[in-house]
Amino acid sequence: MSDLISRVVYPSLVFFVLILLWQFGAERSLFPAYILPAPSTIALRVWSTAPIMFGHAIVTTLEIMCGFVLAIFLGVFLAWMLAYVRLFNQAFYPWLVFIQVLPKVALGPLLVVWIGVGFLPKALVSFLLAFFPVMIDTLAGLKSVQRDYVFLLRSMGASRLKRFLYFELPHALPYIFASLKVAITLAVVGAIVGEFIGADRGLGYVLIVATGTMDTVLIFVALVWISILSLLLYALVCLFDRFFVSWHAAARHDQIRDAA
Amino acid sequence: MIAGLLVPSHGMIEVAQRPVTRPLTDVGIAFQQDLLFDWRTVLGNVMLQADMRDLDRNAARAKAQILLERVGLKGFENRRPWELSGGMRQRVAICRALLHDSSILLLDEPFGALDALTRDHMNLHLQNLWMLERPTAIMVTHSISEAVFLSDRVIVFSRRPGRVVYELPIELPRPRTVEMRDASEFVRFQHQLRQAIEVPQ
Repeated sequence: MSDLISRVVYPSLVFFVLILLWQFGAERSLFPAYILPAPSTIALRVWSTAPIMFGHAIVTTLEIMCGFVLAIFLGVFLAWMLAYVRLFNQAFYPWLVFIQVLPKVALGPLLVVWIGVGFLPKALVSFLLAFFPVMIDTLAGLKSVQRDYVFLLRSMGASRLKRFLYFELPHALPYIFASLKVAITLAVVGAIVGEFIGADRGLGYVLIVATGTMDTVLIFVALVWISILSLLLYALVCLFDRFFVSWHAAARHDQIRDAA
Repeated sequence: MIAGLLVPSHGMIEVAQRPVTRPLTDVGIAFQQDLLFDWRTVLGNVMLQADMRDLDRNAARAKAQILLERVGLKGFENRRPWELSGGMRQRVAICRALLHDSSILLLDEPFGALDALTRDHMNLHLQNLWMLERPTAIMVTHSISEAVFLSDRVIVFSRRPGRVVYELPIELPRPRTVEMRDASEFVRFQHQLRQAIEVPQ
């Protein structure tokens, strides 16, 4: 019971108190509505625009998912190459780090010039932001393999592929999922920023339109949708994490804490 | 080196009249650490051997269950390694090394990290398992009593560089029992080995 209070009630309390203060301030006109509209106004607008906004949210979600999934596969694949193909590591590792140093968002306009303003450039910016943490963490996971495990598997006559699928990949999974939690939030940023650069739909597009017309309420509406979307995607990753690496020490720690 | 995982600095190793030039696969190995996979159950860890070798899964599972039962782990098949004590984990690792009926069993100080009493128990468990198929077993140990208890032949290596300095056949009947540890013959073997190791300078 006390656990429930500390984990649900307290954070909710903070939320409601802040909203109430905000509403109170708006009604007393402590700040102008075009800067900070009242929460009730925003809530009503969220409700009335829900069908249209839902459509925009779907577009953005698809961009994020596309970029994110691509980031997972390419991130893991590149990490695998870096870990096991020495020549690839020597030739490409510095360049992959260099790409990370580049402000990738700045590549957005170039992508628009190359492939237009459609779906693809947003997914690509999303991917560009998300893949690096996946690659680096997976690499760390693959490299933290103890030598004796490799000896054990070799004495069993395990092929290269089997060693990867049965041992190295599961061993790296906790690292990969830790990186996915970072990557999913970056993928959201990537898609939104991609839509800033040039789009005719999506939540980022709504933000740009709302800014152009000084429609502060609509900006907040878009922010509400983006936050909820981001939160849901993050929760989804956590769910997969729990499912796939329930055996890992960090998850066990949670179980012990939950039981206590 | 026997398993072909490390290359000797001098000389050559032959197994069954053939020089070892690449990793042997007709071996079962237990290392100092148990090297269990946290994401597999106890049974799954033993079955790893079958998965890597594409053995018949049903036959392998039956064998795995027999092995686990022999070392007192019946009922623990679906537990995860982290729920087990160090001695139990090492027993699982040895079951895994024995699953595929290899002709050679290599044990690299598998009980080194266990306390003395657990170690004595593990010796009994190991003997139990070994008597099933009686493979050629080679064990590295720092425990004299463990060496005498388990071996037909004890070979003493010197400090670095490791060279063979002494060899002692242990002529005790099998199965060996806990009581035999206190028998005069057993103590005499131990004494001989200790003298071979502690060479006065």
